[in-house]
Amino acid sequence: MKVNLMHGAGGEVMGELLSVLTRFSHNNAGGIGLESLDDGAVIPIGDKNLVFTTDSHVVHPIFFPGGDIGRIAVSGTINDLAMMGGRPIALSCAMIIQEGFDVADLERIVASMDAALGEVGASIVTGDTKVLERGALDGIVINTAGIGVTERAVRDNGLQPGDLIIASGTIGDHGLAIMAHREGFDLGEQIRSDVAPLWGMIEGALAAGEIHAMKDPTRGGFANAINEMASKSGVRVEIDEEALPIRRSVRSAAAMLGIDPLEVANEGKAIMGVAPDDAEAVLQALRSHPYGRDAAIIGRVTEGKNVVMRTSIGGERFIEPPVGDPVPRVC
Amino acid sequence: MQNSGTIVIRGIVQGVGFRPFVYALAEKYGISGWVKNLGSRVEIAAAGARFSEFLQAVSTGTPLSVIDSVEVLPLDETPADGFVIRQSATGALDGMIPPDVAVCEECIRDITTPGGRYEGYWATSCVNCGPRYSIIRTLPYDRERTAMEDFPMCGACDAEYTDPASRRHHAQTIACAACGPSLSLLDGGGAAITCTDPISRAAELLDAGKILAIRGIGGFHLSCIEEAAETLKRRLGRTEQPLAVMVPPDAVEHYVVPTEGDREMLQNRIRPIVVIPKCSPTAHTGISPLHTIGVMLPYTGLHHLLFSHLRHDLLVMTSANMPGTPMVTATDEGVARLQGQVDAFLVHDRAIQNRCDDSVMRDGYILRLSRGIAPKRMAIDLGDRCILGVGPELNSTTTIYRNGFAVTSPHVGNVRNPQTLAYLQETVEKIGALLGAEFEVIAHDLHPRFLSTRYAHELAAECGAELVPVQHHRAHIAAATREECVGIAIDGVGYGDDGTVWGGEVFAGASPDLERIAHLECVPMPGGDLATRYPERMLYGILPTGETLDLLSARGWGEIEGGVLARQVERGVNVAMTSSAGRVLDAASALLGICRERTFDGEPAMKLESAAVGGRAEDWNLSFGTDDGCRTLLTSDLLQRAAEAQRAGVNRPDIAASVQHNLARGIATLAVDAAHERGINTVALSGGVAINPAIRGTIHACIRDAGLRFLMSTEYPPGDGCISFGQCVYAAALLDR
Ligand SMILES: [Fe+3]
Ligand SMILES: [Mg+2]
Ligand SMILES: [Zn+2]
Ligand SMILES: [Zn+2]
Repeated sequence: MKVNLMHGAGGEVMGELLSVLTRFSHNNAGGIGLESLDDGAVIPIGDKNLVFTTDSHVVHPIFFPGGDIGRIAVSGTINDLAMMGGRPIALSCAMIIQEGFDVADLERIVASMDAALGEVGASIVTGDTKVLERGALDGIVINTAGIGVTERAVRDNGLQPGDLIIASGTIGDHGLAIMAHREGFDLGEQIRSDVAPLWGMIEGALAAGEIHAMKDPTRGGFANAINEMASKSGVRVEIDEEALPIRRSVRSAAAMLGIDPLEVANEGKAIMGVAPDDAEAVLQALRSHPYGRDAAIIGRVTEGKNVVMRTSIGGERFIEPPVGDPVPRVC
Repeated sequence: MQNSGTIVIRGIVQGVGFRPFVYALAEKYGISGWVKNLGSRVEIAAAGARFSEFLQAVSTGTPLSVIDSVEVLPLDETPADGFVIRQSATGALDGMIPPDVAVCEECIRDITTPGGRYEGYWATSCVNCGPRYSIIRTLPYDRERTAMEDFPMCGACDAEYTDPASRRHHAQTIACAACGPSLSLLDGGGAAITCTDPISRAAELLDAGKILAIRGIGGFHLSCIEEAAETLKRRLGRTEQPLAVMVPPDAVEHYVVPTEGDREMLQNRIRPIVVIPKCSPTAHTGISPLHTIGVMLPYTGLHHLLFSHLRHDLLVMTSANMPGTPMVTATDEGVARLQGQVDAFLVHDRAIQNRCDDSVMRDGYILRLSRGIAPKRMAIDLGDRCILGVGPELNSTTTIYRNGFAVTSPHVGNVRNPQTLAYLQETVEKIGALLGAEFEVIAHDLHPRFLSTRYAHELAAECGAELVPVQHHRAHIAAATREECVGIAIDGVGYGDDGTVWGGEVFAGASPDLERIAHLECVPMPGGDLATRYPERMLYGILPTGETLDLLSARGWGEIEGGVLARQVERGVNVAMTSSAGRVLDAASALLGICRERTFDGEPAMKLESAAVGGRAEDWNLSFGTDDGCRTLLTSDLLQRAAEAQRAGVNRPDIAASVQHNLARGIATLAVDAAHERGINTVALSGGVAINPAIRGTIHACIRDAGLRFLMSTEYPPGDGCISFGQCVYAAALLDR
């Protein structure tokens, strides 16, 4: 097998590649390790847990409505820590830059990273820089790793029958913003990326009630995240189509392009399973934070398997993990 | 001269009156012994001077039986005097279930004979008629293993059941008003309406324009008179979909113009819905916006009684389901789901064990393989392995091959949601159990995202069967023939070897070596499935010109929408490439302003076909290209030509007819040239587009004129109902290679 672009697109195809890349016998440092394929690793230290994660970031274009690659590079890692329940402490930053890259752009990127760090009180404490010749990559790649601490780690596999599913805000903004901007679509109304560091919002939610499972719906979108949560937890999830918060502009752009907003990336959202008695309190906590204003209860967990959407016309359909490219299926 | 033996008769010998038939012959020829039902065979121990006459007579079978083989073994006992029907033996699960059969003439006479004990009884049946598959729980077929178990026979019924001279001797479905299933009428909320005769009261409600849910043999129908059809469609939210109707035999010609073949098909004991041209193409638009109507004759006692009370001579009879989900079968489920959509329910209290929709036929081809045909049993040697074909995703059936027979389920439907997937699963389990199947091979569609593909994977993981993916259009050809041929598969969408979307394909060879040698031009499908729902998108995909955009904007497309569509095609964002024949017809339908949004399967192409009725087709110049070693028909040129004709003011029926005609000519040319080149003399045709008589006719004529043999299956649907069978055939060929 040769690696192809589908292998990087998330979903089932990427799983094939991951089965190779996760073939480490040394994969766990005492808590939650690589074998779990969770948002990050957990390493118990005394009565605390260290949370550790890393991510490389490429995005085209590097500046887009609502953000830039720097904000994504910081938010992505902070959010992975936050999804484990971890307070972000320190990040590393490795930049691989192509010869000819504009230093003014680097300045903008760094300033944007700094602003994102400031929002949650984390720091970049170490770094690395490489410059490669033209053609070796397209622009810039930023890798960040981060450590956080938590008393109790939140997994992505802890959904329990009876839990309610909460989305911390609107779905699909980032993916459609990037696509519209990159491909030059005039949609009448600009869609902005939701990229944001979520620790502040998550901290409030964790204090408000019992969150059984949490994940950020990045690559592969909500569809991928909720399926992973359901299958890892061994439960069935029912989503109410009408309850899904989706911006009108996103909905209409998705409808015009034939793209499912549930299958595109988000960079500033969390999906959580919450004990039913705590759901209202968690919801209110989320809504009291600017990044959680549109939070909503979107479904519930039951016994069984699969993720099913109850549609607005009274039908049901599966929400499936996306494959790399959408393939038409209507005869 | 042999005067005794054990006669073993294999085939469909259950539920077809076989044992009483044997009994009657034993009496006639003075034979002593016994007959016993063993699932897929009956065993007869027979001794008597006229043994050979008896043997010959039993070998002819009953009207409903299908005899595969007759074998005579030595008899190792001396039977006692007299002849008896022995208890069926269980265990031999390789039996076959007969399909449901329309009520027979004699039973109708019983129902209408004043003073008779079946007078007015809705569920009257005999050994030659009545439900079978829909009531069977397990085999062998005996009353206690059917839904009739809940209705112990009264004395009078028992007397007939045990009377060798009776037509109901050993008829498992025997029942009368005293002992059998009964009817009741419920109001729109499901509360019982007290009335002496639910049928006559139901007829009154229907005559008054009310909408009724009627529980039939294999599920619920929604029923109303023609005047109420619009209301029904509105309540269902299916304002465009053609509805099937039921009419008494003498009213058929009030509505449609049947051919001789149509008439025979209507009266066939399958009693399918037959799609027939209307008397006037523009009449009865409330029932069907097309130039055809699907018509069926009454096929149960209930239907006959209903019409005897009804003042109208037509009832809409459409399967009751939520959009895209299986037909409702149980009464409580019916009440829960249909509340608010219907004004009353006419229900019976016999369990529907196995759901079964009405079959649909057109021009002798099967459009929907279901009641009266399914489970369909085909004798075919596919080797020793037990194979399951799970079918595609839309218009699906499922097929199980075991021991020389392929058995295809009734229409399962569109496997796109949890309910229909559950129905597919249930169907595989039920028919699998009836056949005693243990799957060694599971064949499925190549499409990675079909739910049926996922199901195949899960099932294979459970039972350890080998998975064989089968490309959709190769399955179409495999279902049509196993011979070497040039195969044309024309339909909507199928996942191709190269990950693009196929649907206008020409193959050469024999399964499993079907080489793709030609196809329709690959054209963009802007937005993927969205282009199927909105055919104007497909039009722009094929003809991405300013003129097309102008046409769309004249039809109300906004500037933003149009701009996004153009940009999408230019940048190739979420644009699939397709060689589908269906999408070309969709685009033509959009070009001509016939259909802008598809609200039911095949709508744009069906409406194009209706629009072409009476049109004069002319031969256009065809242009061909090549693509990766395959010859292609340039469908963009075809549509360009149609657009020019439209701008030149050529009338719509003529353009519609010409598009169909030239698309068909082009595909036929690809096939004929390939056949000549390779010295192959048979051209097989399959795929949903082949149902269109104009397209099929043109292709057939081209092939015949080229001196080649034209082949199209009448055993399986040309559409995707044949795929599960084709998957089995193809998988077997592949594994045998
Ligand atoms: Fe097909
Ligand atoms: Mg987590
Ligand atoms: Zn009868
Ligand atoms: Zn009786």
